[in-house]
Amino acid sequence: MPDIILTNVTKRFGKFVAVDKLNLNIRSNEFITLLGPSGCGKTTTLRMIAGLETPTEGRIMIDEDVVFDADEGINVPPNKRDVGFLFQNYALWPHMTVKQNIAFGLENLKWPKKDIEERVDELTLMLKIREFLDRYPSELSGGQQQRVAIARTLAPKPRVLFMDEPLSNLDAKLRTDMRSELKRLHKTTDSTFVYVTHDQLEAMTLSTRICIMELGKLMQYAPPLEMYQSPANLFVADFMGNPSMNFIEGKAEKTDKGVRLSSGGLSFAFTPNSALEAVPEQAVIGIRPEHVLISDEGGCPAKVYSSLPSGLETTIRLSLGEMMLTSVVFGGLDFELDSDVSFNFVPNQAILFDKGSGNALARGSLELV
Amino acid sequence: METIQRNQVKRLGRMTQTFLSKPANLILVVFLVLLTFLTLYPLLVLIFETFTVHSGREARAVGLPRGSYTDYHFKRLLFTLDDGGAMGVTYSNSWIQFYGPLLNTLSVAFTSSAVAILFGGTVAWFITRSNLKYKKFISGVFVFPYIMPAWTLALFWQSFFKNEFIGTGTSNGILASVFGIYMPEWFVYGYFPISIVLGLHYAPFAYILIGGILRNMDANLEEAATVLKTSRMRLLRRITLPIIKPAALSTFLLVFASSISAYSVPVFLGSPVRYYMLSTKMKSLMDTYSGQAYIIAAVMIMFGIVILGINQKVTGSRKSYTTVTGKSSQVSLVDLRKWNRPVAIFLVILMLLIAVLPLITFAAESVIIKAGNYSLSNMTLDFWIGTNLTYLDQGDSTGILLSGKVWKALFYSLALAVTCAVVAGTSGMLVGYAVAKKRGTKMANAVNSLAFFPYLMPSLAFGAIYLAMSVRVSWLNGFVLLALIGSVKYLPFASRSGLNAMLQLSGEIEEAGQIVGIPWWKRMTRIIFPIQKSSLLSGYLLPLVSCMRELSLFVLLVPTSNTLLTTMLMQYSEKGWAQFGSAINLLIIIVVLLINYLVNKLTGASIDKGIGG
Repeated sequence: MPDIILTNVTKRFGKFVAVDKLNLNIRSNEFITLLGPSGCGKTTTLRMIAGLETPTEGRIMIDEDVVFDADEGINVPPNKRDVGFLFQNYALWPHMTVKQNIAFGLENLKWPKKDIEERVDELTLMLKIREFLDRYPSELSGGQQQRVAIARTLAPKPRVLFMDEPLSNLDAKLRTDMRSELKRLHKTTDSTFVYVTHDQLEAMTLSTRICIMELGKLMQYAPPLEMYQSPANLFVADFMGNPSMNFIEGKAEKTDKGVRLSSGGLSFAFTPNSALEAVPEQAVIGIRPEHVLISDEGGCPAKVYSSLPSGLETTIRLSLGEMMLTSVVFGGLDFELDSDVSFNFVPNQAILFDKGSGNALARGSLELV
Repeated sequence: METIQRNQVKRLGRMTQTFLSKPANLILVVFLVLLTFLTLYPLLVLIFETFTVHSGREARAVGLPRGSYTDYHFKRLLFTLDDGGAMGVTYSNSWIQFYGPLLNTLSVAFTSSAVAILFGGTVAWFITRSNLKYKKFISGVFVFPYIMPAWTLALFWQSFFKNEFIGTGTSNGILASVFGIYMPEWFVYGYFPISIVLGLHYAPFAYILIGGILRNMDANLEEAATVLKTSRMRLLRRITLPIIKPAALSTFLLVFASSISAYSVPVFLGSPVRYYMLSTKMKSLMDTYSGQAYIIAAVMIMFGIVILGINQKVTGSRKSYTTVTGKSSQVSLVDLRKWNRPVAIFLVILMLLIAVLPLITFAAESVIIKAGNYSLSNMTLDFWIGTNLTYLDQGDSTGILLSGKVWKALFYSLALAVTCAVVAGTSGMLVGYAVAKKRGTKMANAVNSLAFFPYLMPSLAFGAIYLAMSVRVSWLNGFVLLALIGSVKYLPFASRSGLNAMLQLSGEIEEAGQIVGIPWWKRMTRIIFPIQKSSLLSGYLLPLVSCMRELSLFVLLVPTSNTLLTTMLMQYSEKGWAQFGSAINLLIIIVVLLINYLVNKLTGASIDKGIGG
């Protein structure tokens, strides 16, 4: 099983830098997600590893084979990289039946007829598309087409499977179903998955590790829960989680216990868990909505600006003078607009960021003074 | 030192190998070289010829031997504004030979573009956005004028409206002899009929380009405005027209460029009253002062290049406009109410006039014995199937269907058209594929422009240059020469429809095959071609049809005028053998329509798919 190693991979389209000196190490059997907003270079990265796009600089290795090296002039074509690719729009061949779509690649690899039959059988059974074998793609629903595309991709048993936003064309319910199937597929096929999405929830729920990118640069590479709990910078903190993290922005001062932050006419005290080396002049403190607890009494006073109950949880916007905070309460609760409530911050859950560099500095507890 | 150098050489070698291992790159390189030789080199030859002394008459005028350098042609053609003169009339060679025809050309081009857009665009709107009756008939017949040779309408106009008092007027046309109506000269010859006929001939461009946008336009765009209580007129003015503006502008430029190089229409409708355009002037100068003729050719090409530049700028920056979501398929048709029937009947009659009546006229002309007399007693089928026709005094003694000469020319024409279609169609498909794959790269842009370049070359000038080239290359003559120039000239159509077809096809479709190791030729033949079959075949159909009815491109290059049906027709009408001419004309039109119909029925390819995409 292969390791995929990217070293200083750069892709420029004219003056535009799509991917900037990316270093990435993907271990075998991982389920890696390349995550980021549109235009961040995630799809380009995936296509470069697959060999569909040629990097401008850098080196790519799959399983100790150099498949691309700009300095050496090596560029192994995609079909020799032993990879599978699942396209966003499925890219099923409209003039071939489901069976032909799956078998065409295998025929080309000169598989014996019997083996092809068996493989098509096996895949159509696994992906529950057996009854559609003789239909054309246009006669299938989106979800069925998706399954055919997966079957076609898996057919030659690739070492690595690349997926480019494969669920983005499906409706919400189907997407949830396919997510769990993909996760099972990863287990049963025992291969390495590299997955591209802009949906942080998809990345969170599927991957073993997430590689989050912005403007062609790697922002953080970590397991999902670690990324959620300890974002390396403001971009990651903001991108991960829905509803998104609360950010309190203002002038910071060093105190005996930690940091005092003034923002919107209010003053916050941040007590770090470990010693802080230096305090930036302008800082941002982030705290997740689920760590802003609503209580009936004994907290800081606030007004309910809006309340959005979903049944499973309720998202509440609190106004503290000019400032707004988001809080999430679990269970089927609702709050009257403009009613007075009080809230507390959960200890040890706030993160201090340097506003200038955007980097996380420390984790600690937050209090309204 | 040495190892570093060796490594660099090795690296370069590997990079070249990887580069050329991609078929798209290989195609681009091959066509870059080929097209440079076939289009840019001729252009250089042309420019060279504008500074060279040619024939005896030129040599005498310049006082230098043949082949020497001279700037006489430029001085004579462009800067001889006052030659003196006689009897109080100043004579200006430049005005007569160049500026006058230039002015005529520009005014005709403007008017015909306007006619094409107004007529084609209006019909397109009726067909796509209203509940007009007889849509199927109107839209089916509407592209006829484009499929038929350009001179068809011109000849029809002439033979229908002409009378003995105007032009070279020897006989009366149908209108004069049957109804006794005599039209004035401005109506029958010169600026007005040339503009109208060219406008009608190119109106299908407007119909296809503008109709394509209107048909695919997201109805939500109009519905959104309707919801806001916008009136129908305001809707048309503020929403619909701006959306079709890029297509209309494209049409305008395309028709403008085509009208500038049109030759056969001004020959039939201009020359009898000495109304010259650049193209007809070039042809008449070609025999005497070819240096000046080449300058006119260069000027025409220059116009073409400027127009192409404007077109690319306009469509390039507004591309997002024409992208269609394809989401809403519900198009609300405008109810024409009481206007429906009058408009429909008017259009049907108009279609009959410009598409069907010419055929009937030619049929009639080919069976009457004495011109101008349309009574039954004056009719005979001798010109079609007669034998031993010594009484006719028209050269041939057998009807065209029994004449070996005609059949030979028909097969030669067909063989040439098929060859050009195969070469141009295949090349166009490959170019379209490679350009689509490598879109945005310098090389793709270069090849794309080079492949479009022959479109801007006036056929006559292009033929003249190839004639000059064929003198220098021994194997370049006869069928090979005709096939080569035809293939190059029609490559723009094929590469356009190839590119359109490839751009419609998402790149993922091919990549899905690539990743499982399906080799390139198999991806082309088993995946790409079958999916885009009808669009790609349209790229073959356009050269086939165009070549079959081409005249001006081949007229200078054919070994004898009996070689092709079109050149034979030209010869017959020059000699005034009207009946044989009309019969051959009808034969060409029928063959062209038949080919178009057969290809369309068998493969689904059609002319409009080729132009519009």
